Amino acid sequence: MTAGPRLVVVGDPAGRRVAFFQDALRTAGLPGARVVSWPEVLRGRARFAAGETVRLDSPGEDMEADRLLRGIDDPTRVEGTGLWYERFLAAVSGLARSVTGAGAVLVDDPAELAALFDKRLSHGLLRAAGVPVPESPTSGPSAPALRGWEELRSSTARAGLRRVFVKLAHGSSASGVLALESNGAGRVQATTSVERGPDGRLFNSLRVRRYTSEREVAAIVDTLAPDGLHVERWLPKAVQDGRAADLRVVVIDGRATHAVLRTSRSPMTNLHLGGARGDLEAARAAITAAGGRWTDALEVCERAASAFPGTRCVGVDLLPATGWRRFAVGEVNAFGDLLPGLTGLPGSSAEGLDTYAAQVAAQFQDSRTPGTTTPAAHITPTAHITRTTTVTRTAHTTSTARTTGTSTT
Amino acid sequence: MTVGHYLKEFHGLPVFHFPDTDTPVELPDAAAVAWRISSPTYCESDDEQWEVLFERFLKSVDAGRVRALVVGGWDEAYETSSAGIVTALMAANNRLTDLEAVFLGDMTGEDCEISWIVQSDVTPLLAAYPRLREFGVRGGTGLVFPPVRHTGLETLVVETGGLPAAVVRGIAGSELPALENLELWLGTDEYGGDSTADDLAPLLSGSGFPALRSLGLCNSAIQDAVAEAVAGAPVVARIERLDLSMGVLTDEGAAALLDGQPLTHLGLLDLSHHYLSEAMRKRVLDALAPYGVVVDLGDAQEADDEGDGRVWRYVAVAE
Repeated sequence: MTAGPRLVVVGDPAGRRVAFFQDALRTAGLPGARVVSWPEVLRGRARFAAGETVRLDSPGEDMEADRLLRGIDDPTRVEGTGLWYERFLAAVSGLARSVTGAGAVLVDDPAELAALFDKRLSHGLLRAAGVPVPESPTSGPSAPALRGWEELRSSTARAGLRRVFVKLAHGSSASGVLALESNGAGRVQATTSVERGPDGRLFNSLRVRRYTSEREVAAIVDTLAPDGLHVERWLPKAVQDGRAADLRVVVIDGRATHAVLRTSRSPMTNLHLGGARGDLEAARAAITAAGGRWTDALEVCERAASAFPGTRCVGVDLLPATGWRRFAVGEVNAFGDLLPGLTGLPGSSAEGLDTYAAQVAAQFQDSRTPGTTTPAAHITPTAHITRTTTVTRTAHTTSTARTTGTSTT
Repeated sequence: MTVGHYLKEFHGLPVFHFPDTDTPVELPDAAAVAWRISSPTYCESDDEQWEVLFERFLKSVDAGRVRALVVGGWDEAYETSSAGIVTALMAANNRLTDLEAVFLGDMTGEDCEISWIVQSDVTPLLAAYPRLREFGVRGGTGLVFPPVRHTGLETLVVETGGLPAAVVRGIAGSELPALENLELWLGTDEYGGDSTADDLAPLLSGSGFPALRSLGLCNSAIQDAVAEAVAGAPVVARIERLDLSMGVLTDEGAAALLDGQPLTHLGLLDLSHHYLSEAMRKRVLDALAPYGVVVDLGDAQEADDEGDGRVWRYVAVAE
């Protein structure tokens, strides 16, 4: 048996994601990964060595990376995601070349990030794969770009869409998202966390607010549009305890492993906007009571993930429609695994493991006998991993899986 | 804030969602539940439109025994008025011969926000069902309610983010001799609630609605003015429950209420979702609790101070 790969993670060295991943490695009795920061990559200073396996993680928590990618000093600003996308893809492409050139390998296919970070392309792929998605006039590479409020308004009117989500094509964490309503009588309303400054610049705020004048909504949309807009029908979401609900389902190697219910009083369920984890068991019961099947809901997520076969772990946003009888996929997130303390679904291969431990288990199971479901904690490290990584940690030899329940930052 | 819950109970009956064609669910006894008939506010091509769903419902149950109906959503409720649904319900009055209660528009904010629901003239429904005892409607936009006479109606609830003054006047001017419970969500002028305390005058005079026992004038941006009008209103002497909840009630309105006629005969005074100071809350309790009045002072609100001298206070449900 050959020695296991040496791991590298590209991410924020001080961030939670890297810490959780390192914890998972340690818990599995594996040596820690070498950490390369995104600013190193962006400045062309990242180096890789033969035999290394490189995992890419989100640059999102790294302020310096954000500044380099977006070209804007203020992290609360909404604008700049178009540039972010361009620079991020260029950086990933350069990184992929240097990884390959060094004789190292990437965990995931970097080419899929182009679609995973473009909601229009992503929507098109999902639609083509037969995944239920909300109707969209901006789906796929051939849809015309919406250059401002007038085009958005005429495009949605043509499609008969009165209630839509307007999203930044390359946005994340609800940044720049508008829940937009209009009616035939000319009434317009946008619900959003976007705050429009006196000079017209846009900021992400922690408060969801409403804009009810078309002039204001138009000004916001016109400012967002140069970064690229994706528009899709606002499907009324199912409610739990008076709060709108959706699900984040993590799919690892094609199988749904983790699910969390997110609920909110506003159309956005993001935690930083007042969202909260809901009662997953109650949601499963509601699905069953409505005549549906939980496994069908998970199957929709797995089908969504299969549109990105080169990405081993994705976070799928699953939207249960009013009444819990139907589902649609809102988004597929490349870095959708930051769900601290959430253990895997009972009966799944990730039962008892958090999202990071489950990925570690999946990855290192590959280097053992294919098809076995060895729990991560039972993987003995020394047989597989050479101890030459720059970051070494004491290997734990606990026999039960430990989950990273709290943030270490 | 928006409406986040569906009705769980209506007319004293548990609400039962009448299922899709492809959902194998056993149906309860027709008289044992309030039937929720609802289609998505966005209908896909394979969805049943509300009228089709309603027809299937009428054929699936013993329609003559149905006591209560909850109309949920209908396709594009933010665009298409409830007129078609009112017509369909009217046309079924020869089959729904035992119908006692109707709620029109049980949608959450996700389905369609309250002020976006397009209602219509709902009074033909009352005319078509002379035996109706309870009627509720959600949404003030497009809502029309000319004065009516109905001898059976005991409960009337109108939930809005903004109740047009014409509707307030229509209801206040109606002849409803059996009406025991009246609840009006007045809302804000931002969402079409343009009524004033004056519009409530005929209602407060106590000349109409001889059976009234419970009065709710809720969710009002001008809750203080409403409280002040109620404080001297003759109708108060003969009601048991007074509900001034969900609105922008401040110390001013509460003081007016306490300085008015005695309220010690009330069984319940609901002031929940209020902006009262600690001192005023104590004053209200001291004045009424010793007489056995249950006072609901829950859900205390804090005004939003923008720091620039502007202070914002909100009603419980608008949008």
